[in-house]
Amino acid sequence: MSDGREPPTGEHRRAELVVAGAFVVSIVAALLLAVVYVVGGQPQLEGTFLGLALGGMGVGVAFWARCFMPSDEVTEERPELASSEDEVAAFTASFEAGEQTLARRGLLAKLGLGALGALGLAAVFPIRSLGPRPGAGLATTPFGGAGRLRLVDGEGHPIRPGDLARNQLLTAWPEGHVGAADAPTLLLQFDPGEFVPLPGREGWTVENVVAYSKLCTHTGCPVGLYQTELDLLLCPCHQSTFDVLHGAEPVFGPAARPLPQLPLDVDDQGFLIATADFSAPVGGGYWDRGRSS
Amino acid sequence: MGAGSTVHKATPLSRRTARWFDARLGAASFARKALDKVFPDHWSFLLGELALWSLIIVLATGVYLTFFFDASTEEVVYQGSYVPLQGVEMTKAYASALDLSFDVRAGLMMRQIHHWAANVYLATTVVHLMRIYFTGAFRRPRELNWLIGVAMLILSIVNGFVGYSLLDDQLSGTGLRIAYNIAISVPVGGTWLASLFFGGDFPGPDLIERLFVIHILLLPAVIVALVGAHLALVARQRHTQFPGPGRSERNVVGERVWPTFAAKGLAVFLLTTAILSALGGLAQINPVWLYGPYRPAEVSSASQPDWYMGWLDGALRLWPGWEIRAFGFELPTPFYPSVLLPGVTFTLLALWPFLEARFTKDRREHNLLDRPRSRPLRTAFGMSTLAFYTVLFFAGASDVLAATFQTSVNGLFRTFRILLLVAPPVAGFVTYRLCREMVRRDRPGASAEATAVAPAAPDDGAARRREVAPEDAPEHDPASTAGVARR
Amino acid sequence: MKSATRLLLLVPVVLGLGAALVVAVSTGATAAAAPEGDDELGYVVDLEDLDDPGNVAAGEALFRLGCVSCHGPGGVGTPTGPSLVNAGAASAHFYLTTGRMPHHGSPQEQAARKPPVYSPEEIEDLVAYVASLGDGLPIPEVDLGTGHLQEGGDLYRAHCAACHSAAGAGGALSFGQNAPSLEEATPVQIYEAMLIGPGQMPAFGAFTEEEINSIVAYIGELQRLNDPGGMSLGRLGPIPEGFVAIVIGTGGAILAAFLVGRRVHDADEAGQEPTSDREAGR
Repeated sequence: MSDGREPPTGEHRRAELVVAGAFVVSIVAALLLAVVYVVGGQPQLEGTFLGLALGGMGVGVAFWARCFMPSDEVTEERPELASSEDEVAAFTASFEAGEQTLARRGLLAKLGLGALGALGLAAVFPIRSLGPRPGAGLATTPFGGAGRLRLVDGEGHPIRPGDLARNQLLTAWPEGHVGAADAPTLLLQFDPGEFVPLPGREGWTVENVVAYSKLCTHTGCPVGLYQTELDLLLCPCHQSTFDVLHGAEPVFGPAARPLPQLPLDVDDQGFLIATADFSAPVGGGYWDRGRSS
Repeated sequence: MGAGSTVHKATPLSRRTARWFDARLGAASFARKALDKVFPDHWSFLLGELALWSLIIVLATGVYLTFFFDASTEEVVYQGSYVPLQGVEMTKAYASALDLSFDVRAGLMMRQIHHWAANVYLATTVVHLMRIYFTGAFRRPRELNWLIGVAMLILSIVNGFVGYSLLDDQLSGTGLRIAYNIAISVPVGGTWLASLFFGGDFPGPDLIERLFVIHILLLPAVIVALVGAHLALVARQRHTQFPGPGRSERNVVGERVWPTFAAKGLAVFLLTTAILSALGGLAQINPVWLYGPYRPAEVSSASQPDWYMGWLDGALRLWPGWEIRAFGFELPTPFYPSVLLPGVTFTLLALWPFLEARFTKDRREHNLLDRPRSRPLRTAFGMSTLAFYTVLFFAGASDVLAATFQTSVNGLFRTFRILLLVAPPVAGFVTYRLCREMVRRDRPGASAEATAVAPAAPDDGAARRREVAPEDAPEHDPASTAGVARR
Repeated sequence: MKSATRLLLLVPVVLGLGAALVVAVSTGATAAAAPEGDDELGYVVDLEDLDDPGNVAAGEALFRLGCVSCHGPGGVGTPTGPSLVNAGAASAHFYLTTGRMPHHGSPQEQAARKPPVYSPEEIEDLVAYVASLGDGLPIPEVDLGTGHLQEGGDLYRAHCAACHSAAGAGGALSFGQNAPSLEEATPVQIYEAMLIGPGQMPAFGAFTEEEINSIVAYIGELQRLNDPGGMSLGRLGPIPEGFVAIVIGTGGAILAAFLVGRRVHDADEAGQEPTSDREAGR
């Protein structure tokens, strides 16, 4: 590895020029980067100059390494990974000597292990503090609470059936719970006779206004894409598609269940109310969903 | 210009410093061994290095971002310099993400480098994994390092997801909602799991704060510790090498770490960082200001995860709406594609070295790598697995593909479902035939390498601890093996 | 110098060219987006002229030539085209100025935006004729002055982003339909679309004028907004981002590793095998 090995050929000359040029580019770019920062910053110029500063250095070092550093192949023996028989025997002897002092007080050793295990078990319990017992919150929404809550729009104004029209959709909420993550509700109105209610839900609409949960029954994304000509609701996350004229039954994609429907009525002032909670827990399924509703 | 001259010019000060440390640590012999270590020179051995360099960039830019990001769900009114959101109510987390993008000089570039580097880190990790797999570098004695690598891959995917979920924009909230629903789909304990992790029902009051601790402390600490173990094991076991003249199971042929290999590593680091910096300044990534603050009833079309979660999103889309219900209990649809599939995927991935050893009955030590073609079954299986996940990956983009190429999302779903079943066997079969054909053309007449299963080791006994494969080339006969790996 | 190593020189060159391109594109885009004739709201008709009987007659003549085969005589509709009796000026203006009518595909196929087939005068005549057929919505007057950008953003994300995407890039719907990109939509066209709900789109007639003007203002902002982070990648989210990360980021890094890391001896043309065998001398 001596200098004398490399003849000062034209090739080396050129390589030296490349390395020098690359380092100069790097220096200039780094200084420009500082200038850009001082005069106010501009992300595109910052990225370019940082890239040039690092790239210039990288090119310089790469040429240096490839043209001027030794590239000879060196052969090295691989070390033996496993220990020798003697070493293993010595270790075993040391370990067993210590082990015997434990074995002589076998009961104590077991009790000690038991204490450790019990402490480990006790240490698990603080995890319980991380969150409340699941259940009720999954199965119910504010509509199921005090009962007969009004539906309101995003600004909290109550809604009359007449506020809706065919080919429109409105995201509604339980009064007092605008923005609640489990309660967004889609209101749609159809022409008379178009809507075919599921069995047992004949009285759930008012003036042809239907209310569905906006949360997909697959993974809970808001089903916000209403295709009016096909009367389909589409989920943009995984493309589950629901037929709103037929109880929001899934017609395509990975969802397995219809969007839960909300039984509607009007109060004495003519505003839309929910007579009960959704027909099923909203959002994606879970293990004991069938038992909690 | 050689390395020798630089050593001679070492100033007395640096010598003195070195001696000061050596007097306290006695590190000279260790350090010399490190400098003299031989590293086999094949460019594909630098792929893991790429992942390491990207990870370092992720960590460095990430530290910078923590100085400005405020992981709080407290509601504030945005007053920063991005006009279209001025006066809009949002959480502090989202507002601080906007502030560090628009009101911190160099902040946007740092954030974008961080995100690009994270994406590139995982991509280079996967390419590195493919190199390890297809060359058989995971075989004894390197199974432990394979397990560490798989653990790092899983944790890194999780930390990537947690990272872009922190910003509390519409896209990240949508992703978290999906994550919540996946958690509750786990049988028996799922709802508990979700409630404990989210601190209650979705969205959970302290979720962003928890994700922050996980993203910047917990997972990075574990990942960095695993990187240390990964590198330590490479240093202890030495790197694998391709067969070739003078290379055997018992030696390492290559360059010394100092100075050539170190300089090359530095060059690759600088060039990788240059590419990431240029991307960070010139290509926009995750424009959270367009997505708006998270609102539970809102969603945007083209809601996708980052690329490394794309296969899971694709699986969620393609899995049909099957739910098993009995006695009031159910196994919800998302469980199969988003819990069972990744569980099986990563279990099989982690166990692969042991499964292959059992299948081939080859439990000897291997320091010489396979060429992919010389193990046609393994290569075919790998390609067929890749085909499976590639189909899922593209299925995750089905809506964007449909909109971009003006075709039907429904048609794409059907196509991808068929491809998912057809592509893996076809890819496997074609690969197998190709491998056999390439081997046949490589060496007409000779077929020592073509056999999928190497002949059994000679009678061991004394060589119990040193069971090496018999392809050991006679060390002083380069002619006989020339051309095997050198083309 | 090794020939392959020379490729490394490309890295700074490419970076520089990329930067120049981005700067050029982003400045050029603002310059090109600003002037749109003298019609900053995107009108191509003079509202005063719509009641002119001459226009109605000229429009009827055009209608008989180009529209009657689907929409029927007098616009009463046929099995292949809906009735236009109560479509109104807003609807006619929307479909004609976005080039969606005339539509030559099958009636089920979604009509895509394209340059208008008719000249502005012809569109004025046709709109006047369709408006004269019955009771439809007139062309709305956009007043950006009453719009509020930030409120428009909130409304846009709540009501429009689900289909058209938060960035206004559009998106796929089911069964071959799609929500178009809003990149080229003019303020009047946006207003009209919200009133009439063309194609699969719901109508948003319950919105106040101020709310609609706010949404129009926000969409205009999305159209004008430069991408502060650099190239927009179509504003299509993580899919193109992943593509760039894999192909350019990872591909570039692998190329760098290959050029730096490939064996020096292999790069020598003359096949200088390591038989020269310079011992390391350690």
